[in-house]
This record gives sequence, structure tokens and C-alpha cells, in this order.
Amino acid sequence: MTGQGFSFSSWILIPGQADGMALTLDDTLSFWGGFDPADGEIIDVHHPQFGERVGGRILCVPRSRGSAGTPGGIAETLRNGSGPAAFVLGERDVNIGVGTLVANRLYNLEVPVVAVAPLELAQIRSGDRITIDRQGRISVSREAV
Amino acid sequence: MALQLKQLDRDRLEGRLGKAQRFAMETIVAAARIDEADALIDISFAHIDACFYNGRAHLDFVNYMLAHGATLAVPSWTNNGLVSLNDLSLRDPLASREMDEARQLMQAYVRLGCNPVWTCAPYQLPDRPALGDHIVGSESNAVSFYNSVIGARTNKYGDFLDVCAAITGRVPFSKLHRDEYRAAQLLIDVSAIPTRIRDDDLFYHLLGHAIGRISGDLVPAIVGLPANCDEDDLKALSAAGSSSGSVPLFHAVGITPEAATLDMAFQGKPVRQSIELSVGDLQRARDELGRNTDQVLAGVALGTPHFSLTEFARLVALLDGRSIHPDLICYLTTSRHVYRQAQQRGWIEALQNAGVKIITDTCTYFSPAINGLRGKIMTNSAKWAYYAPGMLPVEAVIGSLRECVESAVGGEVVLDQWSPT
Repeated sequence: MTGQGFSFSSWILIPGQADGMALTLDDTLSFWGGFDPADGEIIDVHHPQFGERVGGRILCVPRSRGSAGTPGGIAETLRNGSGPAAFVLGERDVNIGVGTLVANRLYNLEVPVVAVAPLELAQIRSGDRITIDRQGRISVSREAV
Repeated sequence: MALQLKQLDRDRLEGRLGKAQRFAMETIVAAARIDEADALIDISFAHIDACFYNGRAHLDFVNYMLAHGATLAVPSWTNNGLVSLNDLSLRDPLASREMDEARQLMQAYVRLGCNPVWTCAPYQLPDRPALGDHIVGSESNAVSFYNSVIGARTNKYGDFLDVCAAITGRVPFSKLHRDEYRAAQLLIDVSAIPTRIRDDDLFYHLLGHAIGRISGDLVPAIVGLPANCDEDDLKALSAAGSSSGSVPLFHAVGITPEAATLDMAFQGKPVRQSIELSVGDLQRARDELGRNTDQVLAGVALGTPHFSLTEFARLVALLDGRSIHPDLICYLTTSRHVYRQAQQRGWIEALQNAGVKIITDTCTYFSPAINGLRGKIMTNSAKWAYYAPGMLPVEAVIGSLRECVESAVGGEVVLDQWSPT
């Protein structure tokens, strides 16, 4: 079975390295109200990925939305182990960056947050294998179907 | 351009002022780099949202700060908590660990030195920020009110960043702190809407909802608001616009301080995009916020954002000595400060005797109270109507304060104005 791979550079918002399987969200997400940090589940009934769990995934999302509570929701899901392994964003999102930074500091984690151009973000599909290194290089591999 | 730091910023960052200052400054600097700011600026005030519990991480964060000797650099007032410190019956006792931690969190922010006002409408209290002040706002309606109605300058600061800013007194000099980001980009004309509708308090909720839907990332300037619109109306506009959308700043031409004229609102730039709103747009907003179904009316929720003293006065006058229907529950949320003011006027006792349940420190749309709100609930708040059905087992119907009062007294929904057919 042959696959394909590609890679691109990113803006490092919060440094770190990670690898895992991508979960791509088709819409922005509020991590307060639209997300349950107890188990990492998307609970916004209007969200296209309603019911998905983010645990251990490389979470690819355009940006967060709405509430001032987003950093708290992110820190809590990372604290209890139900959170993503990394964030790949389509925008330089302060709330996701701050929530992740606080969790990394308090719980000695190394969850990276990187941003790419929206057109690059759109190339990633759920199920892709993703590696992010400390220089912000994102490597994507996809098995042939 | 690289971020410029002052010596005091570097002292904090390098740990010479202790671990709490270091953690706080690292967070501010990370935010500044994400925002691509080239400098930090001093703030004079902070409204803290991180006192609102959403898991153990919130508690771990403030406990870290307290354990390492954090103090606050500026006056810092607390937003609503998840629970009321005044009324322990408000939450489900089965979730007692969560409730205990929510209370611990609120108490931790008092120990940190916050002024425990516990309100989402801090701008109703004395000693509020002034035009041009750089501040930290967090709760979305307050951010919009501070920027738009007062002309203080704040981005929408999320949890932790609000506290780090209060500890250091510094924020990134970015976005709404800068003149050029405060210019109007979209003109919204409401002057074609009949005056009798524009004079109704519900108008501002529906207009805010509609503006939230259409503004996107643009700063709107509204023309055609009645000159006598007051801060309760502008509170409604702020809250509704930041619920259905994200409107951290709007201008009301001839009313708000950075928009004495249209030209001033647009900072002299040409108007490139303008939208005229009609009664149909308001009807649509009203329908989106909840249609009146055949279900029995179960309750009425007032005070989102927190009820002001002038709203108390209107409510007392509208009730006019009558009582809430015995089959209904009627909740009203307010701040401790306004509660005391209303109490001095005898209004709290009168309203309680009439069957109104008055709550401080928190809000009913996220608080599943014992004997709480379920079923069809009427509200005068677009914000409540927008959020509550996602959080509580309720459906919402929106009405003016007058319609809410008549419905609460009569025991069924009374929509006497330009209601949807």
C-alpha cells in the first residue's frame, strides 16, 4: 500500500513536539459551552463534528470562538488527559495559546500550538498522521485509499 | 517588529520578582507574540472572568499564583461565579464536588485581592473606567459596553490572561487598544424602523441580535437610535451583539463617545458598506430567539446581564402591586451592589413579597437550580434566550419587560405589541 506525504512550516504560537492522528473541525469551536472538558467531547449540537472526542488527536481547527472561558476549557481538558496532543490553527488564536501555555506550565506538558495559512489547514484531513517538530515543521502522511 | 519590553517587564520575566510574576509575565509575552504586538502598555483596571469555575485547572492556576505570593497591580473586579456565595441552594447538590470547587475558586480570587462584586455588569457600579482608559475586560457584554458605551479600551481577554494582566498591570498593545482598530467599518441604518418600535426596550435586544449576525469581524456604526436611549438599552445591545456574534465594539452615532458624528465614527474614512434594517429583520431576530409554542409557561427570567437600579424601578412600576402567578417561577439576577441600592428603596422586599426570586453573584442561564427553570421560560434578554436552551431543559420566548411582567402576573404568555404572527 502506498501513501502520500507532504509537509509545511508553521508559525509557532506555543512550542513543543507532538505526533498523532488529525481531527479536523469544519467550524470554529467555543471551548466553553460547546465542549466538555471532562471527557474532551464536542457538545455543541450545531457543530459539524458534534459528538467527536479530541483526546490524543492533532486538533486542526480554524480558531476558537466566543467565550472568555475557552482558555479554561482547554487547560482543564489537557489537565485531565482528555485533550488533544497538539493544535494546528488557521489563525493566531490567543485564547487557545494561553490555555495551552497555562496547562503546559502547571502540569509539565509539552502540547504545541501552531498556526498555518487557512489554505494549508484545508489540506489536512481527519485520519492523516501528523508530526510537529520543535521548529514548527508539520509533516503529514496519508495512506492511499 | 520585535516585542519591546521595559526593564520591569524583563525583571518579571526573568524571575527576579518571584515565580508568580514570572508565570504571569510569560503568559502576557506569549499573548503579545501571538498578537504580533510590538509593545506592552499599562492598564488601570481589570474585570476578572477566571473566577468562573470550569474544572480543576482553574483552581490549580489561582492556587499556584497565591502560593507564590501574587498580588494585583490594578483594581480588579470579579465577574459572575458559577454559584452564588449568597444562596447555596442554587445548584444541584448531587454535583457537590464541583460546587465546592466553584466556591473555593471564588474565595481564592478574594484572597488574591479582587473586589468581590460578582457581576457581569460591573459598569453599573461607581468608579468605573473612563473614556480612553486602557483596561482588561473579559465577559463579552462588559467588553462591548466598556469599549462602545464608555470608550475605555479593551480586547476580549480570556481566562488566565485577565489574571496575568491584573498581576502585572500590562497587556499587549494590540487591536482595540489602538486607534486604527476602533474605526467603524460598516454602517447600520435603523431609521426606517417605526418610532414606536424603536422606543420599545425589546428593540435593543433584537437589534443587537441582528447586528451580531451581520457584522462578522467588522466594527458597526448604528444610525437612527433614539436620542433618549439609555444605558439599559445599550447594555442590551452589547449583550445581544456579543451572543449571536462577536461585537466587541460598536458605535451609535450621536450617542456613544467616539461617534459624535458619522465622520468621527469612521475616523474620516469613507463608508464602504451600509445596511438598512427593517421591521422584518427584527421579526427574524425575534423568531430566532424562540417561537411561542403551545407549551405552558413555566417561568420568567430577568436580569441578563444583571438588572440595574433603573430596571428595578421600571419593574416595580410595571408590577404595580400585583403578584407573580402562583404556578410560575420568576427569577431576577443582579449584583450585590444594585441589590443593596434596591433594598434601601424597599424594592427587594416588595418584589420578594410579590413572588420574585432575586439572586446575586451568578446568572440563571447556566445555573441549573434546585426547583429551577425547565419548560417554556419567558425572558426580556436576548442573551438569555440565545444561551439558556443549550444549557438548561428550557425553551425561550423573548418579550419586552412589560410583556414579561404581564405574562408573569397572568400565568401565560402575553405578547401585546408587534409580535410574530
